[in-house]
Amino acid sequence: MAIAERPAETVSLPRVNVRPGWAGWLSTTDHKRIGIMYLVSAFVFFLIGGIEALLMRIQLGTPDNTFLTPDVYNQMFTMHGTTMIFLGLMPLNVGLGNYMVPLMIGARDMAFPRLNALSIWLFIFGGLMLYVSFFVGGAPNVGWFAYAPLTQKQFSPTAGVDYWIVGIGLTGVASIAGALNFIVTILNMRAPGMTLNRMPLFVWMQLIVAFILIFAFPVLTVATIQLLFDRHFGTRFFLPNLGGDAVLWQHLFWFFGHPEVYILILPTMGIISEVLPTFSRKPIFGYAFVAYSGVAIGFLGFLVWAHHMFAVGLGPLANAFFGAASFLIAVPTGVKIFNWLATMWQGSLNLTTSMLYAISFIGMFVIGGISGITLASPPINVQQTDSYYVVAHMHYVLFGGAIQGIFAGIFYWFPKMTGRMLDERLGKWQFWLMLISFNLTFFPMHLSGNAGMPRRIYTYEADMGWGLWNLISTIGSLLLAVAFLIFLWNVLTSLRRGPIAPADPWDGATLEWAVSSPPPVYNFAVTPRVRSRRPLWDEKYPHLVNGSHEAPTARPRSPLHDGFEREIPAVMEPIHLPSPTYAPLIVSVGITILGFGIIYLGDFGLIAASAMLVGLLIMAAGIFSWVRISHIDSPHHAHHGV
Amino acid sequence: MVIDTLQLSGIIPLETSCNFSRIIRGGCPGYSRKPYWRGTTLSVAQPHPRASRAGAWRGAFMNMLPRFLLRWSRFLLLIGMSVVLAACSNSPGNTYDPHGDNARRIYELLIPIWWMALGVFVVVEGLLIYAIWRFRRRSDSSATPAQVHGNIQVEILWTIAPAIIVLVITVLTFRTQAANSVIPEDALRIKAIGHQWWFEFQYPDAGADGKPIVTASDLYIPVGRPVTVVLESQDVIHNFWVPKLAGKTYMIPGKTNYLSFTAEQPGIYRAVCAEFCGEAHALMRFRVIAVDEAEFNRWLAQQKTPPPTPAGTLTVNGLTGDAARGQAIFLDARKQCIACHAVEGTNARGQIGPNLTYYGSRQTIAAGVLPYSPENLDRWLREAPKLKPGNLMSRVLTPQWIRQNLSDQEIADLVAYLDSMKVSVTLPPER
Repeated sequence: MAIAERPAETVSLPRVNVRPGWAGWLSTTDHKRIGIMYLVSAFVFFLIGGIEALLMRIQLGTPDNTFLTPDVYNQMFTMHGTTMIFLGLMPLNVGLGNYMVPLMIGARDMAFPRLNALSIWLFIFGGLMLYVSFFVGGAPNVGWFAYAPLTQKQFSPTAGVDYWIVGIGLTGVASIAGALNFIVTILNMRAPGMTLNRMPLFVWMQLIVAFILIFAFPVLTVATIQLLFDRHFGTRFFLPNLGGDAVLWQHLFWFFGHPEVYILILPTMGIISEVLPTFSRKPIFGYAFVAYSGVAIGFLGFLVWAHHMFAVGLGPLANAFFGAASFLIAVPTGVKIFNWLATMWQGSLNLTTSMLYAISFIGMFVIGGISGITLASPPINVQQTDSYYVVAHMHYVLFGGAIQGIFAGIFYWFPKMTGRMLDERLGKWQFWLMLISFNLTFFPMHLSGNAGMPRRIYTYEADMGWGLWNLISTIGSLLLAVAFLIFLWNVLTSLRRGPIAPADPWDGATLEWAVSSPPPVYNFAVTPRVRSRRPLWDEKYPHLVNGSHEAPTARPRSPLHDGFEREIPAVMEPIHLPSPTYAPLIVSVGITILGFGIIYLGDFGLIAASAMLVGLLIMAAGIFSWVRISHIDSPHHAHHGV
Repeated sequence: MVIDTLQLSGIIPLETSCNFSRIIRGGCPGYSRKPYWRGTTLSVAQPHPRASRAGAWRGAFMNMLPRFLLRWSRFLLLIGMSVVLAACSNSPGNTYDPHGDNARRIYELLIPIWWMALGVFVVVEGLLIYAIWRFRRRSDSSATPAQVHGNIQVEILWTIAPAIIVLVITVLTFRTQAANSVIPEDALRIKAIGHQWWFEFQYPDAGADGKPIVTASDLYIPVGRPVTVVLESQDVIHNFWVPKLAGKTYMIPGKTNYLSFTAEQPGIYRAVCAEFCGEAHALMRFRVIAVDEAEFNRWLAQQKTPPPTPAGTLTVNGLTGDAARGQAIFLDARKQCIACHAVEGTNARGQIGPNLTYYGSRQTIAAGVLPYSPENLDRWLREAPKLKPGNLMSRVLTPQWIRQNLSDQEIADLVAYLDSMKVSVTLPPER
């Protein structure tokens, strides 16, 4: 605990300038508060996406059901996919990253705290904008992949697609800004001694994801803006009858869309690369292999987009290339799985809820990986693509993988974030119920898919023989809902009555466990010095360092105290924290109003143009205030002025 | 009994002799509970942060866990069994029951990959479950395990092992792909055009005066002769899928795709649009009717001649319709039918909706919404917006318009007319 507690009396702690109550949240630039806002808002969207899924499952529970009309069903699956990917999984990962990355690398905040606040507000407004569409003529109903030319105005006349374009655009700006923030933070703000090869694997994966994101997301943004121009301003990018190309959209979309899968799954691989070692009481097996296989996956992820398009008719040569590239991804993925198994091997496994989720991640992700192999083979793919087999595959990867990984992370870090322990008993009920009902829901989809059931159908005939599988899926999905209710109950009760969490409840190895739970606003009173991949562990168990090839060559006699005495000099650097500010919130409100204007510019020119002008003015005011506060707030200015 | 076999073969432990819970309680002879790393590393006392509250429960849970796992693994195995059962069951869309060369080659590629996958699944999940059971923390254990950071040899091993498996799969894949992408020169060419939400089929040069034969929703093909379907779309992207005959191929506006396959057995095959194409995507179906070559030629010859002058009556729901009167109504421009529909040999030349020549021999109504019967046709004319939401006909001719412009008798006449146009063809069995 020395890293965290000792300096309290030796360092002048900063004047903490946090506004009370709601104002504190609206004006915050603290990465921890922003992380919590990401997690809470993403979880709300996630629950809404889950309700959409339940409605679909009820509709499909029996053949020829009439619970939902086809148009409502089409809106449901479009919003379910869009919500889960852009408003659920991605921001849940960003939320955990936002909270944990600075703590894990020994930093006091993200590199650009105000940009970080802009990201959360743009994300929330983008998500709300998508949902506003339900009340103004219907949600988007063209699928989350929005294939041209169905998205053109003549086929989809409602504003739903426009809301989709602008909503995704706003969350896209948020994600790109967030990714740049992560890259700069991780590359520049690590504690002294934390080389890249000593970074926790969760940080590694967040870094890779940030790089994937800044290469992948702008492609989607460009494609959606082209679509917007097609719909309103007379261009013909994706309309074939006037020289456009419908397949171009698919290339652009999947050039973003496939790396997006890794944007969703890699952070959760990072999470379980933290959770498995902690609860096995061992270091991660093959650190470098786990880290660099992540890099390999991120790189290969850009070479496989056309495996979503094997049935499009790109020709055998293109299909062969993209098939082979997709097979290749199995290698780094296999390496990761074996290293996780080896991490558990001969360990002392503490089967907490977090650990169970991490283990179950491996178990379910393997199934998703195997079904991915058949989908990567072009000839097999053309039988399985667009069938329920794909629905099964993708949910084994993104639910069995990503969501279970996120639950591992939430059960792992909840005590750190809230200062309270979650109830383990409820957690285990939730885990087992979720594991069983997840398999009940999604395993039968392999079978209905191979029995010829296409995706995105709101009804099917009884004599197709898919009734039993669909009924089992529907029952499973209702049980899944119960598991989520248990989690919700657990969080709400534990926040109030849960046992107080110590700083290091799981006997962790990384720096976030060196500070109190929850951490102080400034994270670290004194920037820790890092000597290994497990700075806290090596400090707690210096006698075990011998067995570690990570041990420094000239190790000081007492790692507990060495260095820190010299690190705390007479002249202390004062702790600099960014001031709270409403500027990012104002800027995002302006951009959102601008977005509403863009949606209606084609149809109600004058009103929309005035809305855009108002939005721009608000945005300009926000930017002005932003520049002013960042000038006042600059460390140089602050420390000479105060 | 499956479970017995699995127990005897050791896949599922015998519950009667020595199950997991007994092993945990130490009740099984020959099982040592001592972790084998004990004594090899240093011991560190481990106060659990929630020892007082969670400790008791955790003990209980440890006893529960293996039984849970046991049930779970059996559940997965049972599901594995049902995969096999599903492969044998005969859903009309079953891809594991191929009746065409394209689908059969895909199935034959899937089988070896399926076995490799099963092997990987058993090894990885087995190691995982074994690790949980073998290395889970015992309440009496406070040892810190050996701090192993890695091993370069095993890393190389498990990098190469999946690479080899993947290489084998790649080679198998390329072989099948090469076979399935051949477009034979001598194949029968049929054009398929996707519309929201029905399939149009054209047999080029097969009609009178070298015009194409145009039909919809039923695709007749000869058995044993390669067919190349030329795929196009009129509006949005559709996807041509006959699960038992061939894999999917997109129908894309502004692009022409080709799909070749040979039906190996006569049959009526279910087929669908597999790409989301708008509101009634789920109701965009068709049938492939594979008949032997002689029967196919007979069908073609009949399609080549226009339907004869309609005659006769048909009683539907108590009303007797007259086919000749029905034709007059059909051809009456005020009744709007011919604005969209065509019938060979008449002045009905609408191009927007399906060609209705020989409609009386269709397998289904409205692209697979209802099985064909005069009663269902009557129902379709009255309830189209309910039966197929969003369809173009009922968007233009609303139920109200139909009530005002077509009497019950006129509808009965129309049904009698459409039903009178039949070709004589011996239908193969449903597959």
